Amino acid sequence: MSDIRKWFMKSHDKNNASESKPTNQAKPSPAKPQPPKPVDGGQDSTGKRKTSKHVAADKNKKDEKEAQELPAKRKNTKDSEDLQKRLPKKIHLDDDDDESDLLPSKRKSVDTTPIKKLNSESGREIPLKSPDLEKSDEDDALPIKSGGRGRGGRGASAPSSSGRGRGGGRGGFMNFGERKDPPHKGEKEVPEGAPDCLAGLTFVISGTLDSLEREEAEDLIKRHGGGVTGSVSKKTNYLLCDEDIGGRKSSKAKELGTQFLTEDGLFDMIRASKPAKAPPQEESKKLVNKFVAIQSKSPQKAGVKVSQPSGSGSASAPVKPKTESSVQSSLMWTEKYRPKVPNDIIGNQSLVKQLHDWLAHWNEQFLDTGKKKGKKQSDTGSKKAVLLSGTPGIGKTTSAKLVCKMLGFLAIEVNASDSRGKADSKIVKGISGSNANSIKELVNNESLGAQADRVKDSKTVLIMDEVDGMSAGDRGGIADLIASIKISKIPIICICNDRYSQKLKSLVNYCLLLNFRKPTKQQMAKRLMQVAKAEGLQVNEIALEELAERVHGDMRMALNQLHYMSLSKSVIDYDDIRQRLLSSSKDEDISPFTAVDKLFSFNAGKLKMDERINLGMSDPDLVPLLIQENYINYRPSLASKDDNDMKRMKLIARAAESIADGDIVNVQIRRYRQWQLSQASTLASSIIPASLLHGQREILEPGERNYNRFGGWLGKNSTMGKNFRLLEDLQVHILSSRESSPGRGSLRLDYLKPLLQQLTEPLRALPKDEAVQKVVEFMNTYSISQEDFDTIVELSKFKGHPNPLDGIVPAVKSSLTKAYKEQSKSRMVRAADLVTVPGMKKPVKKRIAAILEPSDEGLEQGEGNALEESEEENSSDTEELEGTTTGEKLQSELLSLNSKAMQVELDLKGTGSSSAKKKPVGRGRGGAASAGKGSQASRGGAKRKR
Amino acid sequence: MLWVDKYRPKTLDQITVHEDVAQNLKKLVTEQDCPHLLFYGPPGAGKKTLIMALLRQMFGNSAEKVKVENRTWKVDAGSRSIDIELTTLASANHIEMSPSDAGFQDRYVVQEIIKEMAKNRPIDTKGKKGFKVLLLNEVDKLSREAQHSLRRTMEKYSAYCRLILCCNSSSRVIEAIRSRCLNVRINAPNEEQIVRALDFISKKEDLQLPSGFAARIAEKSNRNLRRAILSLETCRVQQYPFSSKQTIPPMDWEEYISEIASDIMKEQSPKRLFQVRGKLYELLINCIPPEIILKRLLYELLKKLDAELKLEVCHWAAYYEHRMRLGQKAIFHLEAFVAKFMSVYKAFLIATFG
Repeated sequence: MSDIRKWFMKSHDKNNASESKPTNQAKPSPAKPQPPKPVDGGQDSTGKRKTSKHVAADKNKKDEKEAQELPAKRKNTKDSEDLQKRLPKKIHLDDDDDESDLLPSKRKSVDTTPIKKLNSESGREIPLKSPDLEKSDEDDALPIKSGGRGRGGRGASAPSSSGRGRGGGRGGFMNFGERKDPPHKGEKEVPEGAPDCLAGLTFVISGTLDSLEREEAEDLIKRHGGGVTGSVSKKTNYLLCDEDIGGRKSSKAKELGTQFLTEDGLFDMIRASKPAKAPPQEESKKLVNKFVAIQSKSPQKAGVKVSQPSGSGSASAPVKPKTESSVQSSLMWTEKYRPKVPNDIIGNQSLVKQLHDWLAHWNEQFLDTGKKKGKKQSDTGSKKAVLLSGTPGIGKTTSAKLVCKMLGFLAIEVNASDSRGKADSKIVKGISGSNANSIKELVNNESLGAQADRVKDSKTVLIMDEVDGMSAGDRGGIADLIASIKISKIPIICICNDRYSQKLKSLVNYCLLLNFRKPTKQQMAKRLMQVAKAEGLQVNEIALEELAERVHGDMRMALNQLHYMSLSKSVIDYDDIRQRLLSSSKDEDISPFTAVDKLFSFNAGKLKMDERINLGMSDPDLVPLLIQENYINYRPSLASKDDNDMKRMKLIARAAESIADGDIVNVQIRRYRQWQLSQASTLASSIIPASLLHGQREILEPGERNYNRFGGWLGKNSTMGKNFRLLEDLQVHILSSRESSPGRGSLRLDYLKPLLQQLTEPLRALPKDEAVQKVVEFMNTYSISQEDFDTIVELSKFKGHPNPLDGIVPAVKSSLTKAYKEQSKSRMVRAADLVTVPGMKKPVKKRIAAILEPSDEGLEQGEGNALEESEEENSSDTEELEGTTTGEKLQSELLSLNSKAMQVELDLKGTGSSSAKKKPVGRGRGGAASAGKGSQASRGGAKRKR
Repeated sequence: MLWVDKYRPKTLDQITVHEDVAQNLKKLVTEQDCPHLLFYGPPGAGKKTLIMALLRQMFGNSAEKVKVENRTWKVDAGSRSIDIELTTLASANHIEMSPSDAGFQDRYVVQEIIKEMAKNRPIDTKGKKGFKVLLLNEVDKLSREAQHSLRRTMEKYSAYCRLILCCNSSSRVIEAIRSRCLNVRINAPNEEQIVRALDFISKKEDLQLPSGFAARIAEKSNRNLRRAILSLETCRVQQYPFSSKQTIPPMDWEEYISEIASDIMKEQSPKRLFQVRGKLYELLINCIPPEIILKRLLYELLKKLDAELKLEVCHWAAYYEHRMRLGQKAIFHLEAFVAKFMSVYKAFLIATFG
């Protein structure tokens, strides 16, 4: 039984869809509609069939009872339309479904015959009256009685589409609802209605909707045939908004008296096209009325509008061209529908006009003035050549050719496929002498330059296409082109994509610049519509506008896409285009963050492998790092019902292993140049972890922002590198003390702690002077410099552990520094990097650092907060020091200390660690304030930090 | 000066821990025939001490007069020339370096720099020895390629250049090199030897060392003599006179790793994994080699683990350590191990306790 029901609904759906079509098409072409007589002939059979069907259906459907009461005539027309619409094959298929319930053999024969008849009859002359009659009849019938019919038809259509065809689509919508913007995101069920239930209506969306994202709402409207515009105008039918009314859009809407519509209202409207509940019916009635009204007002326009949304193959009109097109389909559409007259060109009409004028006046302007040389200077404004620029596919070449053709010029086109290098021949006649070889040939045949000025009636134009494509092969091409322009006796039209290209910089000065703009999507859609019509393609305008938008104004691409799609189907709707161009619009750059967002997004499971690889490869270095940084944060949708995170931990372990795999592969790639593995690397390091863990992101630490963090590895790695270099310095110094020769590993693992202890413990325990004495002695034994001291402290710091310097009075620390410096005069220098030897790197750098010092004073002050607290403590003890020492001595010492500190810093910087970058600032400040008492403090602070 | 350096034996005769090896080496040198040598053994066993004593035996005091040089070498590597910065420690008769410092460019160090050094005959042949010595540290960290380029050098210039190689594990030195050398294995000293060494030092330093305490230090040092002596000194600074119950402070990084281990044992969740990652980064930043981290982490985990899981966890640790060596970004592998452990342990907990 359900089979019958479905079948029945379907038939109505089609019924309904075609309902408006024949009526409006009836007007412009009276030949089309079915003559009453022949229909009558078929009527008996079809009528019979219909009734039987209705009887069967009525058992299921209570709402449809009126259908039976329809006047006979109406039924007839309906039925005939119905039949006409459906292809015989389809009917058979449908019938097969029902075979169990109905008599198959009988019905088959019945079904097929009327169609044949109709087809044969369509050519006949019919009285003009009949369609009108029919129409009026329908108009009358709709509001009153057969309102039920229209309604019923609509109603029937909805369950079929939502229940079957669009079921998956709705699931998609529900899945979107994972972001948080709309307050009831994803909570409401998005209705599905007849595909054309919003046809002809224009919406403007304002503010936050209750449950839909803006794009979703837009998509929903377009899907149902409605249009969405950005701002309110007279044409706007509805302003879609839920809250925050009061913006510019709403005020404008109020001004214009546009109707307000809530999201629920929109849903209701869509649902209205669904079966048969009382309130929605009125809505649909209204809609239908509207269409009819529109039709009667402007038949042609409405014809376009209404016939598109109907969206299903119907009337005979488009069928005819289709047969035609199959004959000449060998031609590409882009060629076939290339504009034939300038008016056909979409957009840029003013430019075309300008081009036309320029070309039309070229001869008088330049050739004639050439004869009277005095005049030439006067029109400096006009240029001898013109440069058309604009993105591909917007008709530059076409316009140039068309204009030439219109003015009777013979266009000679030279494009990137010709060699355009500097010609070496010395022919000076015309431009050809110094231009491409192909042109040279033309000249030799005396077709170009010679004729151009002698024989006026055969005029020639040179079109230099793709001038920005002149590359290494066309040596001196541009310069030569300019030279040609100067001496040219024929107009030259240059065409390029990017006017601001470096190559064209010189050319621009010699040309009249005409910048072609992209046509608007409406313009494109209009033209595409014409093409589609001519090809017998069923497309609605919304879909075409979408197409136009997706190709970014590239008409050629739009046509190609349309051509391609036409090969597989004759009816193209919004969804097809979305689907089709989703993949082709991927050329834009994606930032690594977007890529990672997409890979991890809640419904990333639906991505195709290709898409994932593209995302992963968008930045094969950064994306894995971002993935690695953030994969823990995702609550995988694979592990839904997951008690105590068991599944999630498992997935994380797998993902972590895969990331590690990626690292191994990456080593193979980098170290052994196995670049063929790069996809495997992307797969292991990005795609697998993301596909395991994609889901909703959650924060792990309070206060964290719920966005993907930047990969921490880069920063940590560079800090690690810096620390390794510091450790190496320390090692070298210890080595040079000849007291010990630890390896770097054992130095860090075993020595560091005792060293630290020896260096800091006395400062804590012993009285100041004694302690300082002891520590300096120890430092001297191992050739540990001040910087090494800091290195040791730095490497012993662990987050969450007490600072190793805690508990040391700052005064002691500073006196230690002082004592060390004092002794350094007498100390035998043993550290390798303190000896200046030719061929050594470090001392050289230090010298450079010393030179740089004064200029560093610029960067200061503001960074004060970056310095640690200890600095303040230090400053107090500097005062103490100042008390004890004579001011001048201190001053000079401070200066020397500062410069030393700077050397160290710059040294660090020179070794290339990025994290060292911050430091010079702090130090620079110290340098700047060197005379002041704060200087030593800040220096100390900077040093300690390091 | 630290005791560990102060009481380092300077000559082969002074050596107490590996006396037999020292004597054999002495014989080898006095007989004027010194082959290439490969010293291997765990850290803190006395390899370096032996080598330095050996050099002293060969060249006398001049071996101690070293000069540290940090030079940049310009190496022509096919199409481009690269700069390699390398620290060398050189006396008149020997040169010491760690070619593995050059990272993945170590091949060029071996091919160009070492060859260059090996080629040059010592000018001063008045001395007894007609050859000079190249001491290469951390040979096991050399890449395969570098090791392969080393083998030819070893043969070709063996007339006037001897190589002394020093490494932790001979298994990562290729067969070809091992067969060209006299392999000298330096065992880690056993605890008894360590206690003896500690006693020796405390006698010299006039310290009262309770015997139980020395044994505890020895035990804690993991048979690493250097660490034992260092921690003796640490304890000395911390508290003197010693009491046998005195706590021996662990190394800072060991302490940190054991914190990580208890973190992991306490909770297995993405959040905890994230925190652990931060701590692992902290260790890496502080120049703790990732292998050591992994090893220590496993050690700490095993202490707290149920017996039935130990095998599996060890397996995974080995698995990830291997992969860490193949890879480059150690943190990825460490994290993978932690994640794996968490997953395994969590499953175990749930299975056991519900």
